[in-house]
Amino acid sequence: MLDRLHRATPYAFLLPGLFILGTLLSVPLYKVIEYSLFDNVIIEQQPRFVGLDNYTELLSDGGYWSALLNTAIFTIGSVFGHLVIGIGLALLVNADIHPRARTLFRSLLVLPWIFTAVVVALNWQLLLNPFGVVNYSLQAIGVTDEPLDWLGDPDLAMWSLLLISTWRGYPFIMISFLSGLQSVPKELYEAADIDGANFLHKFWHVTVPQLKPVIYGVALLDLIWTFQLFPLVWLTTGGGPGRATEVLSTLTYRLAFVDFQFSQASTVAVTILGISAVFTMLYLSNESRRTRG
Amino acid sequence: MKRAMLAAVAAAAFGLSANALAATEIEWLQWFAAEQNADFYEGLVEEFEAAHPDIRVKLVTQPFGKVRESIVTNRAIGVGADVLGLNMPWTSEFLELGILEPLDDYLALESNGFDTARLVQAPIGKIDGSTWMVPLNAFPFVLHVNLGLLERAGFDKPPMDWAELKEMAVAVSRLEDGVSGIGMPFSSQPPANGPILTFLPLLYSAGGRIVDGTTPDFDNPTVVETLSFLQELDEAGALTPGVASRTGGVDLEEFIAGRTGFLISPAVHASAIVARNPELDYRLVRVPQNGSKAYRVHGWELGIAADSRHKDEAWAFIAFLLSEGVNARLAEASSALPGNLDALDDDAAANDPVFAAQRDILENDEPVEELRQAPRTVASWSVMTEEIQSMLAGDQTPEQAATRVQSRWVDLTR
Amino acid sequence: MSAIAIRKLVKRYDGVQVLHGIDIEMASGEFTVLVGPSGCGKSTTLRMVAGLESVSDGEIVIGDRVVNDLRPKERGIAMVFQNYALYPAKTVYQNMAFSLKLSRVPKQEIDRRVRAVADILELHELLDRKPAALSGGQRQRVAMGRAIVRDPDVFLFDEPLSNLDAKLRGQMRAEIKLLHQRLRNTILYVTHDQVEAMTLADRIVIMRGGVIEQQGTPDEVFHEPANEFVAGFMGSPPMNIADARADGDGVLIGDARLPRAMPGPSEAGRRARFGIRPDDIGLADERPDIAVRLPVTIDLVEQLGTEKLFHFSFGGVPFIGKADGRATLTAGQPVHATFDLEQCYFFDADHGARLR
Repeated sequence: MLDRLHRATPYAFLLPGLFILGTLLSVPLYKVIEYSLFDNVIIEQQPRFVGLDNYTELLSDGGYWSALLNTAIFTIGSVFGHLVIGIGLALLVNADIHPRARTLFRSLLVLPWIFTAVVVALNWQLLLNPFGVVNYSLQAIGVTDEPLDWLGDPDLAMWSLLLISTWRGYPFIMISFLSGLQSVPKELYEAADIDGANFLHKFWHVTVPQLKPVIYGVALLDLIWTFQLFPLVWLTTGGGPGRATEVLSTLTYRLAFVDFQFSQASTVAVTILGISAVFTMLYLSNESRRTRG
Repeated sequence: MKRAMLAAVAAAAFGLSANALAATEIEWLQWFAAEQNADFYEGLVEEFEAAHPDIRVKLVTQPFGKVRESIVTNRAIGVGADVLGLNMPWTSEFLELGILEPLDDYLALESNGFDTARLVQAPIGKIDGSTWMVPLNAFPFVLHVNLGLLERAGFDKPPMDWAELKEMAVAVSRLEDGVSGIGMPFSSQPPANGPILTFLPLLYSAGGRIVDGTTPDFDNPTVVETLSFLQELDEAGALTPGVASRTGGVDLEEFIAGRTGFLISPAVHASAIVARNPELDYRLVRVPQNGSKAYRVHGWELGIAADSRHKDEAWAFIAFLLSEGVNARLAEASSALPGNLDALDDDAAANDPVFAAQRDILENDEPVEELRQAPRTVASWSVMTEEIQSMLAGDQTPEQAATRVQSRWVDLTR
Repeated sequence: MSAIAIRKLVKRYDGVQVLHGIDIEMASGEFTVLVGPSGCGKSTTLRMVAGLESVSDGEIVIGDRVVNDLRPKERGIAMVFQNYALYPAKTVYQNMAFSLKLSRVPKQEIDRRVRAVADILELHELLDRKPAALSGGQRQRVAMGRAIVRDPDVFLFDEPLSNLDAKLRGQMRAEIKLLHQRLRNTILYVTHDQVEAMTLADRIVIMRGGVIEQQGTPDEVFHEPANEFVAGFMGSPPMNIADARADGDGVLIGDARLPRAMPGPSEAGRRARFGIRPDDIGLADERPDIAVRLPVTIDLVEQLGTEKLFHFSFGGVPFIGKADGRATLTAGQPVHATFDLEQCYFFDADHGARLR
């Protein structure tokens, strides 16, 4: 009897936390799914049950598909940028340089991640202003002679957003990769040296195979986070110009708090949930494969 | 010792709560204190509570963007403020949701400390047979002028009509890199209200309208004429580049910094301009005309929530805010015109040319307010913004823009 | 096959000098072993030959080229690491083929060479496995195979057997020796195990504190140690060494006397260090041919199977002797220990140099 009590004690300690977290997570989740099945929730005191009508309406709305496409472009583009810059910088920082220089660079290079989305958005808006520093520099070195509207030109806005998102998010990949690099035995690189490998060979044949599980896991996480990213896009372009940078998360917010179409917003939110769930399962299966094998 | 302390604390709490139970508490949800001096509003609350010991007022301040959301979502979960800070463009959608309480009976009370006929009439006009809001203050949309830049470009007084505006704006743009005639804030970032900040005032000065009763009427000749004017300004180089990413806030900042010659915005920005950049050679004039002496009127309004449980107390507070003395102080604090015209200070007008110019507009020009009746107002602004962006990018003509806005707006109202 | 010459090699790290001028001349096809305690600089020397560490001063010559500034792959070397350093994501075949692939050797040639080496090392059944699926000994053979496939001028081994258990170590030692006999390659081999050094080397280089204490054939360093350190380092169990004072035609160790004169001028009381290997201390019953026999009491007996080691105190100094494995010995037993004084050594008391 006492033994059973002893074994139950850890669970007892966990219970309050689990209960609070569980409630905070599961209740909104349930409510949102519920809202998506009704019409005019929150506005009406007695909303009408419409089943899956909201979903069929959504899937035949061009705006939804264009937002989905934008989200795909934004997510894949950002994650790709994060990987390239993050891994590249990690390799540079990991090189044989003075340990103090390495710490300095590592601290500097992590900074973009530390700022909140508001700060990042405001600063980049200033930089990318038609009369801002970026245009000034480009004009000074002669690349353009007209001030470019980076965030207001439908052809440029998504690229600008990708630039900002890449800048903001690469440190996560960089740090993960960097710590992974430390775990690669130095001797493998020495053996490769002797075998005649240059830098690229060593990267491809030694580093990448060792770090493949790490890269995969971290990239998936990044994919999930970027897919749902809201503040950065909303505060930088608001989904515009036109709907050029409208992603699923900004569409949800717009439907809910600008148009007061809470049912539609919930429906979009549920589709985001569904797609994120698929990615999450991929991530979990990769993690379990990694710890097992 | 510990037991005694505990007892003392319990007694104090009990006593305080008993005291609180005696008074009725009402909540005032607004954004005014966020944009101006918060202490001033707290002072007003204290003054009111001193005069009405049985009413306590809880001041709830949120940023402007959040207040509209909060009013709707709070009501859905059954919590909400009693006195609401409101914006006229929200009227139509709030009426649809049944959020507002009709104020006719309260306005008819003898005990009010003000004369209803002397209030700025824009928010008071009846819709569906009732009055829904009263004005705390009012501000007309005006043209802010940087006379310094004008003089450098060879002009000695502000423009009176569209032709002069265009000529002067183009000349200012040519002065130097980084300086331009006038900015247009057509960013898609919510609230995406660029069109109602700059396009509507110009439209009204040409005698145009965008709403017919309660139906959208965007596709009409005056609208096209005004859109064409915008396009002409752009093609002549008078507009600051980057209209599609420019917000109203940036527009104001750039004017304060002396980088634009003109700014069309509420008169209430004058105090910010003068305070932030005293060096600026600043003038305030009416929006240049094109056949009509009309101005867009805006302001901060007050209303009562339909599901408030203390409506009488809420009205007592509103009446307090509208009384002549308090209203005058409010107007001064927010650098706007008082909602109660009896509170207009003649002396102030005499001493301050900016104030005098505002008063001139208020008394002599026709006030126009359409958005109260416009259906799906806030959503329609995004539509207008997008189509104007497209027009200024050269992807469609003013006629096409007007037609598209009309059809999309009508779709929204279905 | 190339000869290796290391001339006046110096290595400094951040101003601290760790190698103080190393000179080794290795003939082509010779098996040279660098041996010494941890921190003596043997691995550093090897890595400098490999090109994994830079040269602070001096030169390294492989064949007829000075290779100081050449990168590892340009030096014609192959290396076998202590931890094998096999590429974990590649199969055994791919591990061995990697360097050839990088050198753009044609596919058929790669296949021929890899399979030839796999045959020599009996790896042909393991070619499709990844290193994680191999045992320690198999991995070590793959590491050697990877080196052999390259057909280099010089083979470098960095303590390759340290991670194996004792029995496997013995087996692999034999295999390496056989391989050397068969392929006759120039080998530079680093180990801290003097048994490995003795069994494998054509030439042993004993290092300590960044300098060479002695280099020569296993016979030379074992039987003619140049100083006390070498004498004490080589041989297991180690040589018995004690302080001694000259006493006419003998020496005194503590209060015990051995009838063997100290070399050099014989002033009474002159100090030196006296050394004699446990192999040369036996039991009177087993060594009737040795004249010098002295009574001692056994403190401890260690049974090795083929022989027994008996610990005793001589002149207050602990000594070890060897007896036959079948002798009956117990702690506390008084015996007569024989001292073969033809085979003892004297070292300078101050700087350890051998006195003759």
